Amino acid sequence: MKRWNSVPAALVMSVSLIALTACEEPKVDAAVFESLQQCKDEPGMLADQCEANFNEARNQHAAVAPKYTSQEDCQADFGDGRCEQAPYKTTSGGSVFMPLMMGYMMGSMLGGRSSMISQPLYRPASSPNNFRTADNRSAGSTTGRTRVASSATSRPSFKSSTIRRGGFGSSGRRFGSGAT
Amino acid sequence: MQRIPVTERPDLARAAAEHGLEYTAGEGITGWDERAYYQFMARQVDEDIEAAAEEIEGLCFQIVDRALGNEEVLRRLGIAEPFWDYMAESWRNNEKNLYGRMDLSYDGNGPAKLLEYNADTPTALYETAVFQWEWLEHAIEAGLAPKDSDQFNDVHESIVKALPQLGVGALSHFACNPDIEDDTETLKYLEECAGEAELKTCFLAMSDIGIDDQGRFTDLDHRVITTLIKLYPWEWIMNEDFGLHVPRSGVQFIEPPWKAILSNKGMLALLWGMFEGHPNLLPAFFEDDPAAASFADAGTYVRKPMLSRQGANIEIVRDGKTLHHTDGLYGDDAHIIQGFQPLPEFGGHYPLVGCWLVASKAVGLCIREDKTLVTGRNARIVPHVIAD
Repeated sequence: MKRWNSVPAALVMSVSLIALTACEEPKVDAAVFESLQQCKDEPGMLADQCEANFNEARNQHAAVAPKYTSQEDCQADFGDGRCEQAPYKTTSGGSVFMPLMMGYMMGSMLGGRSSMISQPLYRPASSPNNFRTADNRSAGSTTGRTRVASSATSRPSFKSSTIRRGGFGSSGRRFGSGAT
Repeated sequence: MQRIPVTERPDLARAAAEHGLEYTAGEGITGWDERAYYQFMARQVDEDIEAAAEEIEGLCFQIVDRALGNEEVLRRLGIAEPFWDYMAESWRNNEKNLYGRMDLSYDGNGPAKLLEYNADTPTALYETAVFQWEWLEHAIEAGLAPKDSDQFNDVHESIVKALPQLGVGALSHFACNPDIEDDTETLKYLEECAGEAELKTCFLAMSDIGIDDQGRFTDLDHRVITTLIKLYPWEWIMNEDFGLHVPRSGVQFIEPPWKAILSNKGMLALLWGMFEGHPNLLPAFFEDDPAAASFADAGTYVRKPMLSRQGANIEIVRDGKTLHHTDGLYGDDAHIIQGFQPLPEFGGHYPLVGCWLVASKAVGLCIREDKTLVTGRNARIVPHVIAD
């Protein structure tokens, strides 16, 4: 079973949403890089800043990346050889897979926008030149300084790891049907 | 309103298999009986059932509105304090409801009387929406029912239309107690409707729901649950281990939390308290209300637990004597006292008229028949037609 099986439909949906809202949704300054080195090579970028932002994105990657319970499902969405094993197990002990981090977006390089966090970016198999956030928002295809839809800069959601199960169901075991 | 005996389909076993219904040779389909049908006139359905149900729904909204701001009432309904604000907020935010079934005592004449409202976890949905309709097509073709027969049954279309309007997230989870076939079938049917409405769904057992370190509920694949369409009563959810996490879980529940007021039979007392004398209501009182004692003194009444299912623990008293009572697991809970409006009798059968509401519109009818005055677990759905 897939862990995050909504990629294709969600892609279609967010593409059309962006088309529909292109006039309304404000774009904001951001910077997108494929690698730490690319950031350091960008004129005007400070190496320390590149590194701090890269690390911030890298540290989030495992938590926010979409998760799958099979390598094939992950590769179907992100391309052959573009998935890795996540540092999680399913409750039944199975492996969990997630796409490789293919870049990162930083928002704080222009000063003052400290509320904008850095985050990892991915490239979907369906449009491998484009970047997507972990929540499947378009971050465009341009590297370096760019402008992205402000929704793409919001904090990516955590793809959770369950700490406990079985907190529901006891009344059903006692009473049987819940129907009326 | 007539009860018309007819022959059942010769290939009933095949029809059952096709629809995934349980069939036993000699007994037929569990919970279904097509050896008779009920015939209504259009006026009876339009005015006495459909219009009445929608009017009652309007009254229900008024008691919900009032109850949610009244601690004494919430306490009487047995709703724990941590859920008061949560329920009130769900009402203020207009969190949408999907469905419910009002059970009415109706004999074809005069106003239908509300016996109870299954506002949270109604079943018999598939049999009403799909199987009953298919029966009608057969019955007309086989000449069992008049050629121009109709049925009050827009249930399926209404659900498919209502589901995408609930504002559900990218993925809707469906959960119940999977050990119970009736519950599972009903919920699987709802999931099919969601599929037809092109929503993404995931089915799981209530007991498989997990929680993460942020207090969010998760499925077996660790996906955070954002919409939960549950066939599991609110009072159970609130009382179980994870219950206290519900208000801050961020989950949209269908039915929404405010429905817990209406699925509680205490609502019948609230309705009577606010709309005493309404033609579709029976007198009803909380048992600990002095008015209940004086009403019961007259010797004829029905005593029901505020939270019970499928006719359990109900006692009918007439002229000071117990006329009928049912056993069950709910006898220790708080009760209401309700006026006695016997179900009509058709040759030893007691039909209970269930009116389905989807998104608060009356959209269909199912008749459940039992051999006693209390409609219990052995009740069977008998199809209906409308023909003048």
